[in-house]
Amino acid sequence: MNFTLESKVLVQGITEPLGSIYAPLMQTYSGQILAGISPGHGGQELEGIPIFDLVEQALFSVGTVDTSVIFVPPYQVLDAALEAIAAGIRQLIVVTEGVPPMDMMRLCRIAEASETLVVGPNCPGIIVPGQILLGTHPAEFYTPGKVGIVSRCGTLTYEVARELSQAGFGQSIALGIGSDRVIGSTFQQWLQILDEDEETEVIVLVGKIGSDSEEVAARYIIEAIDKPVVAYIAGRTLPQSQYTGHAGAVVSSQIAGLRDEVGTAKSKIAALKQAKVPVAERPSQLPDLLKQVLRGGTKSSPKKS
Amino acid sequence: MDLLEYQAKQLFHEMGIPILPSQQINHPKDLKGLKIPYPVVLKSQVYTGGRGKAGGIRFVENTIDAVAAAQTIFNLPITGMYPAVLLAEAKYDADRELYLAVILDWSARRPLLLGSQQGGLDVEATIGAMQQVIVDQEFSPFYARRLALKMGLQGELIQSVSDILEKMYQLFLQKDLDLVEINPLAVSPAGELMALDGKITANDDALGRHPDLAALQAKIPNQIKTRILPRDLSETTLVELEGNIGILCNGAGLTMSTVDLVHQAGGRLASFLNLGSEYRHNDSPAVLRDRIQQGLELMMQSKNLKVVLVNILGNVMLCKQTAEAIATHLQRQLDSCTTPFVVRLVGDQFDESRQMLQALNLPLFDDLDEAIAEAISLSNSVLRAK
Repeated sequence: MNFTLESKVLVQGITEPLGSIYAPLMQTYSGQILAGISPGHGGQELEGIPIFDLVEQALFSVGTVDTSVIFVPPYQVLDAALEAIAAGIRQLIVVTEGVPPMDMMRLCRIAEASETLVVGPNCPGIIVPGQILLGTHPAEFYTPGKVGIVSRCGTLTYEVARELSQAGFGQSIALGIGSDRVIGSTFQQWLQILDEDEETEVIVLVGKIGSDSEEVAARYIIEAIDKPVVAYIAGRTLPQSQYTGHAGAVVSSQIAGLRDEVGTAKSKIAALKQAKVPVAERPSQLPDLLKQVLRGGTKSSPKKS
Repeated sequence: MDLLEYQAKQLFHEMGIPILPSQQINHPKDLKGLKIPYPVVLKSQVYTGGRGKAGGIRFVENTIDAVAAAQTIFNLPITGMYPAVLLAEAKYDADRELYLAVILDWSARRPLLLGSQQGGLDVEATIGAMQQVIVDQEFSPFYARRLALKMGLQGELIQSVSDILEKMYQLFLQKDLDLVEINPLAVSPAGELMALDGKITANDDALGRHPDLAALQAKIPNQIKTRILPRDLSETTLVELEGNIGILCNGAGLTMSTVDLVHQAGGRLASFLNLGSEYRHNDSPAVLRDRIQQGLELMMQSKNLKVVLVNILGNVMLCKQTAEAIATHLQRQLDSCTTPFVVRLVGDQFDESRQMLQALNLPLFDDLDEAIAEAISLSNSVLRAK
């Protein structure tokens, strides 16, 4: 992971409605957008950001780039990502919603082989407060600090960050990994990255009902994570029937050895409690839980003492 | 989107997966022109499993019995759904029945091949016997043979079952499917294979690039057409409950969280509606303004609605633009709409927005807990006033 003041960023789909809104916001935040890509718009500019037809043309003109933020229409995401990977870019943020899972599976396979970090799709991207904005996070909700937020939600991530900032808990990084079923990087990958990140002291995991993501993350926390983690799960009072998965999900999670009722708030909270992760009942309770776990030190230290 | 059995079998046929001679029956009298020799089996074309137990599958020996059976099946609801079509199919004598499927393994982010020698039963009942192979790289037929061997198949069946799996995989890939299932795949005494029943789930996000599959959905009457335009506002459904507070929110997580907060504070919901996050590539202030206004219109249709709580966070529309969208909509309806609103927005122009909404007697909050307390207090005072 390398998202700092020194990062050099490209925006693919810069003339799409969403791209044209967020590229200038990202540029205002930290001024690291070197170029935008939009086939047919080469030679134009968007608020001072030069636009190119091809990624390789842009790199020839502006030099090396380490990250691309992708806003192209859903059926063009795979192609845009492959173009960026072919040009040597190894960090991709896919904001676009509605990418077919078959395209994501192919992208994941190629990303793994080329050691490319993919965030998203259908996500708000990453913010490192005070340093860099790569996505849609409203910058005014975030302050620099030591809490790493990793979330499966979009707007709820903003809400949680706002609560933390108001309570004096700034963030080392905040990201939404995307709420689609097939995503480029999972909770486990990001828990690992944040566990190793020197700027992050404590991790806040934000989830919601549906899928087995939080259950799998809880198991991973038991196995591999040393830093303290607190969590919030949305949907605990929702009528369950509205958010059931399809047969394939049931089959694959049963094969994976998970409980039958996987995906419910009850199952997620039980899994997190088993991993000794305190679960907030509401976002405004997160600061109290953070104070508690920070007083208790890291997860591994009590074992040693 | 789920396909019906006869639609799935049509795709199997195109792919070269063997199916029995069959005929689509739209009306009992169609059986008089049946081209398949008796005995035949008549199958209700509904989406749920367990059709046999529910009486939706019947064997018939002649036209008179067939017409009577068809009438019964057409009038038999299975989990609340009536079939619009029956499938008449030749009867088949199977020696053994297998289970085969290709699904997406979401956690592994790879396709997964599934198979067992206990076909013809509920998947749940045979889960213990299910074998699996992850297709972790580019597909090649050896993945299918690997599954066949794990299933315990021997001799010629290894190759013939692998051939079927390969065709299922091609279908899965070409049509962007979430699931292709053959259950059962019959094995005749001579070792011949036949797909007796099949299930296909197409991926909703990919329907836009498969007009042939999208067209199938349009043809199906009597079913809940939830997602014809999956990314359109029509997807934004109003979820109705028993209380009196309505929630209009953007993003699934934030909507769930707001619902939880209202419930935890003792409020009862009439309905909630998720406008969607702002990650569609064509989202713009104009698109979001329309979505808010359509959402408000939909919300006003919920029964027992006494208070509306609006909670919108985001960046595409500034706080003031969101406030304007709400204000414009309410001004237009002022005569007909007397339902009180509580609005929660956050942003730089909060004070301006607050003044604008105050002129319409709409309280604006930036703290979510306070907004919820106000909404609940209003809903209670409405109750007391009764």
